[in-house]
Amino acid sequence: MTRYLRLIRIFTGATISAQLEYRANFLGAVLASLGEVGVALLGIAVLFGQPGTVSVGGYSFHQALLVVGFFMLTEGFISVFVQPNMSKIAEAVRTGSMDFTLLKPIDAQFNVSTRNLNVLRVTDILIGLGLIFYAASFLTVTLGGVLAAAVMYLSALVIVYCIWLALSTTAFWFVKTQNMSELFNGVFGAGRFPVTAFPVPVRAFLTFVVPIAFITTVPAQALTGGLSTLLALASPLVAAVLFVGSRLFWKKAVGSYTSASS
Amino acid sequence: MTSPPPNVAVQVRDLRKSYTVHEKDPGFVGSVKSFFNRKSHEVGAVKGVSFDLAPGEVVGFLGPNGAGKTTTLKMLSGLLHPTGGTARVAGFEPRKRETPFLKQITLVMGQKQQLIWDLPALDSFLVNQAIYEIPEAQYRATMREFTEVLGLEGILKKQVRKLSLGERMKCELAAALLHRPRVLFLDEPTIGLDVNMQESVRAFVRDYNQRFEATVILTSHYMADVTALARRILVIDAGVLVFDGDLASLAEQSSGGKTVRLQLRQPISLAELSRYGFDAKVDGLSAELSVPRSEVSARAARLLADLDVADLTVEDPPIEAVMAELFGAGKEKAVAEGVG
Repeated sequence: MTRYLRLIRIFTGATISAQLEYRANFLGAVLASLGEVGVALLGIAVLFGQPGTVSVGGYSFHQALLVVGFFMLTEGFISVFVQPNMSKIAEAVRTGSMDFTLLKPIDAQFNVSTRNLNVLRVTDILIGLGLIFYAASFLTVTLGGVLAAAVMYLSALVIVYCIWLALSTTAFWFVKTQNMSELFNGVFGAGRFPVTAFPVPVRAFLTFVVPIAFITTVPAQALTGGLSTLLALASPLVAAVLFVGSRLFWKKAVGSYTSASS
Repeated sequence: MTSPPPNVAVQVRDLRKSYTVHEKDPGFVGSVKSFFNRKSHEVGAVKGVSFDLAPGEVVGFLGPNGAGKTTTLKMLSGLLHPTGGTARVAGFEPRKRETPFLKQITLVMGQKQQLIWDLPALDSFLVNQAIYEIPEAQYRATMREFTEVLGLEGILKKQVRKLSLGERMKCELAAALLHRPRVLFLDEPTIGLDVNMQESVRAFVRDYNQRFEATVILTSHYMADVTALARRILVIDAGVLVFDGDLASLAEQSSGGKTVRLQLRQPISLAELSRYGFDAKVDGLSAELSVPRSEVSARAARLLADLDVADLTVEDPPIEAVMAELFGAGKEKAVAEGVG
């Protein structure tokens, strides 16, 4: 365990140094973050901007803002921790450098998941946290709510990681998988809005088929104390099942890997 | 499962690998057809290869493109699962990729790289130090040796993307050997390098082999790599081991005989020289010709008696010529030593 923490420290040091090589990239990253938050805020501004609208899907403006906050936070998590690693899986399979990864005496899934960070997108995380704190200051939040939200959101992060891992792992068979992350981003865009704002069939789809509801709406509900016990139990369970499932899928992919010919 | 005796570093028995290959007709229509209905068939890449390597042994692994060299190396390093047969490397079954096994081997591929592109090589070394759990004192000692033998001074702190191909390959080698593996799989380690760089890579491999008694399997397109490093040669063609023996006896396989080089004091016509052997060449006062292996001394004596010879040398044909003949003439001609 301490060994893996040490490895994370070394990997993080290396990836941050690598990014400091490209300073001009920084401005672009900040603009991208601002663009993301702008689009998300515009979405709820349009909804609540209608004269006479005080709630959407049972969500007040500030509750909806909370969902946007979790959405941005998750965007940040993906941009900083998940996507920089997962996008490299397909590349490594295509160029054959996956060979080196698989011959290292550490867990290969750990290796591909922790090697890279996109520190420049940390702004997304800060904006997300800022929005959550701002929105929460208008709402009644209990200590229990904060703890529940923390557990729900931790599950959410596991869920996000597992979905990305599973989609990226298909690279072992299909080699080119850029469209997989587009697929995720397309569906995840729905996470900007509380799931209750959608018609029931869509809501069911976003909860049970692609678990987007668990990523933004459920933590927001937990924070304001409006979470049903069923969803509170389901979220960590879904996370655990996805974690085991995506790990098995990864193992299977590595097992059938026949590396790109020399 | 029988473990090999301790004096065997690599044991390979009837190793086989076949691939499923997809076929596609050329052109757009072919692509569409194959998208919906993929035709595939099994192709044998390695068809029953057996050999043993002793600890500290260096072998050259030769064969034309697509003969199964890389596939064999990948099976021995654990990247590919064999379709049949067994392999034991350093006492382990490679396909399981157990941690103690992975810490004892390394795979270097001349056409692929593991160094972090945007950082100095030193950063990649630190990453590998952590991954392989190399103690600080050992890391420092190894780095000192490698820096000296490979001449890494001054290039370790430059970003990898700014290094020349040769400099990068030296760093790749250092990164791959930092954990002092006992078994080295080197797949075309000198590809694309200039002659000086090739020589320093060879010197490094030779030095490492002697210092750590490491077992080395080397594939290369450059015969010089093989002749400089390996006493023993394995030749694989179309997935079958067609030769296993030392360099000299590989030359024996050649039906082309030996090459006689002459320095003459008086010019000679090609026709006249051709009476003494075949493949005669004349260039001013220099000449060369091939003579049958069994008649080398008789023909040389005649040449010395008949002509005004300043100097005469007898050489084995260049290994390239032997290989060209071996693969050109088909494997049935190459009677392998100790192989079926």
